[in-house]
Amino acid sequence: MKLYAGGHLTFYMPGRKHSLEISLREPTPLREILAQLGIPLPEVALTALNGELVEAETAIVRDEDQVKVFSAVNGG
Amino acid sequence: MYGTTAKILRVDLTTGNIETQTLSEDFYRLYPGGKALAGYILLTELPPRTDPFAPENVLVFANGLLTGAPVSTATRYVVSARSPLTGGYGESEAGGFWGPELKMAGWEAIVVKGKAPTPVYLWVNGDQVEIRPAGHLWGRFTAEVQEEIRRELGDDKIRVLQIGPAGEKRVRFAGITNDLRHFNGRNGLGAVMGSKNLRAIAVRGNQRYQSLAYDAKTLMGIGGKLAKMVKENPLSWDLQQRGTPGLVEPLNTGGILPTRNFLQGAFENVDEVKWEAYEREIFTASRTCYACAVRCKREVKVDGRESPYGGPEYETVGAFGPNCGISDIHAIAKANELCNAYMLDSISCGATIAFAMECFEHGLLTLADTGGLDLRFGNAEAMLKVIELIGRREGIGDLLAEGSKRAAEKIGGDAPYFAMQVKGQELAMHEPRGKYNVGIGYAVSEIGADHLVVAHDTAFARPEAIQLKAAAPLGITQALPPRSLGEEKMEMFYILEKWNSLEKVTGFCFFGPAPRSFIPPEDVLLSINAATGWNLTMEEALTIGERATNLARLFNAREGFTRKDDTLPERLFTGLQNGALQGQAMPRDEFEQALTILYQKKGWDPQTGLPTAEKLRQLGLDWAVSVISEQ
Repeated sequence: MKLYAGGHLTFYMPGRKHSLEISLREPTPLREILAQLGIPLPEVALTALNGELVEAETAIVRDEDQVKVFSAVNGG
Repeated sequence: MYGTTAKILRVDLTTGNIETQTLSEDFYRLYPGGKALAGYILLTELPPRTDPFAPENVLVFANGLLTGAPVSTATRYVVSARSPLTGGYGESEAGGFWGPELKMAGWEAIVVKGKAPTPVYLWVNGDQVEIRPAGHLWGRFTAEVQEEIRRELGDDKIRVLQIGPAGEKRVRFAGITNDLRHFNGRNGLGAVMGSKNLRAIAVRGNQRYQSLAYDAKTLMGIGGKLAKMVKENPLSWDLQQRGTPGLVEPLNTGGILPTRNFLQGAFENVDEVKWEAYEREIFTASRTCYACAVRCKREVKVDGRESPYGGPEYETVGAFGPNCGISDIHAIAKANELCNAYMLDSISCGATIAFAMECFEHGLLTLADTGGLDLRFGNAEAMLKVIELIGRREGIGDLLAEGSKRAAEKIGGDAPYFAMQVKGQELAMHEPRGKYNVGIGYAVSEIGADHLVVAHDTAFARPEAIQLKAAAPLGITQALPPRSLGEEKMEMFYILEKWNSLEKVTGFCFFGPAPRSFIPPEDVLLSINAATGWNLTMEEALTIGERATNLARLFNAREGFTRKDDTLPERLFTGLQNGALQGQAMPRDEFEQALTILYQKKGWDPQTGLPTAEKLRQLGLDWAVSVISEQ
């Protein structure tokens, strides 16, 4: 699975890199992956799974998926 | 009296008279800088209904209370006058180095009246002030003029604030720049400066803010702590890494990236204009403002060379990119450079061109009108040509230099519907149909559509999110959905508006204090108190912000503005055409009800939208009660 973390979620990513690839043997709840990475769920405002908006709390992801998570965007 | 030089420089360009005004402690406590000081001066010294381009218009440059303090993001100054774009209270803030330098030169503010018979610039060298000829600078791009002034005065550390050719030509959205990279963009205040034949204000000072502070040691301590916090706070860290262009992709994903004149909320070519494209194609380095550890400013390449004007912010990428249907990041960088060379507000310029593109697609403007330019959405080459025509007020540019509202009235037909403006000022690149408080801010802002009235709704959507937790000292503790209005949302708006207004009084940047960014509200308060020795409570500090907002509201009341002017473009009450929020509209009835609730909270008459006498007395503005009684 390819994960991209945008906005201030990049801050929580390993090495503060905006994206990484994770091997998944079976469908996995996204919230478990985010928890393992240390990305706080309350900071995740938007989640796109293969380009479609989903809820991070309930999304299940597979090895071939592309996931983008973003923090709240505040303007300015 | 601490934290202030207590001196205002007063210049009459008609007579050449230069005077110093000294402020009293009582005055300073009510109007301690920036928006509050500018609002007081305009309301008391500018006759109602003055033509914005008349010599009688009063142009104020006012530092914030903390501008120049060794505290990250406290760099900003306000420029204010009656706006030629809105006809109301005009105001625009900028960071950079000019404001701190003015403070170091010993001045809190400069008030300019009259009109010079020929072009001039002002040279403020500490307490030595001189009006110098600027005929040789007139008509030249801003980068050349800055270099020429520094050469002429023999000091390359002089800070130069200036207009460009667009301000000279009175383009109604001409801005003001300092150091070529920081902009008082909004409200057309560059055109007011141009109408006074004032091309620039060069400043050099040698004082230190610490010498003014009540408790310099504490202030330095806060500054040091905040500088370390920048890299440890996710919000400021993100600003440092990507700057504001980092907003493009998340806004697009959320369906709130203004696209094709706000018809749509998502741009199909977003990959070509998002931060990764910006970084790969044009980005060269980061820069900063005075004493600021955030370093959110970008440097870029244009036409294969380093641009002297800095890089486009998110607003500029949005305005000349998706909102014009354009996906060429190089063309966007060029548009930014042209705006800064001519000194145009890139938000209003991009939004006005997007308006013209929609008019062209509907046949309201033709090839005959545009001088043969195929001004459809997506034509980057035509867009760049139109920017130059606006900057020179030539051809179609002369019409568009009036701003979208006036241009629409001249074009006629459906054109007014395509003008995305409030009170004559074009919307910034934030979509209210996904963030309702941004829409309320656009509507009630005294300067016309402005995106910096409150922190945006999305920050407060989740109960455990860091921005909501950071807002607790302000009294905001409840998570509320971005697409909601009503009693609790208006209470949130009311508090946040006071807080943001306080930032404009004290000189803090929108990217400094929480909840938008990293500085805890307690440290904002501590900084003010260390500077002044006042021992303000949070409630007293918020009252300073509220007082400043009411002064601006009173100015507009005098110019004939009422509740009917607090509205949104009709398009926003219809559904978005695409993206994650396709079909979503601002609910009109809820919007009107929310305004009524907000006015009641603010102590404003719900029918007229004007402050009540009781509210003015509560704010210590007893003297201003006559302003509303005369309406």
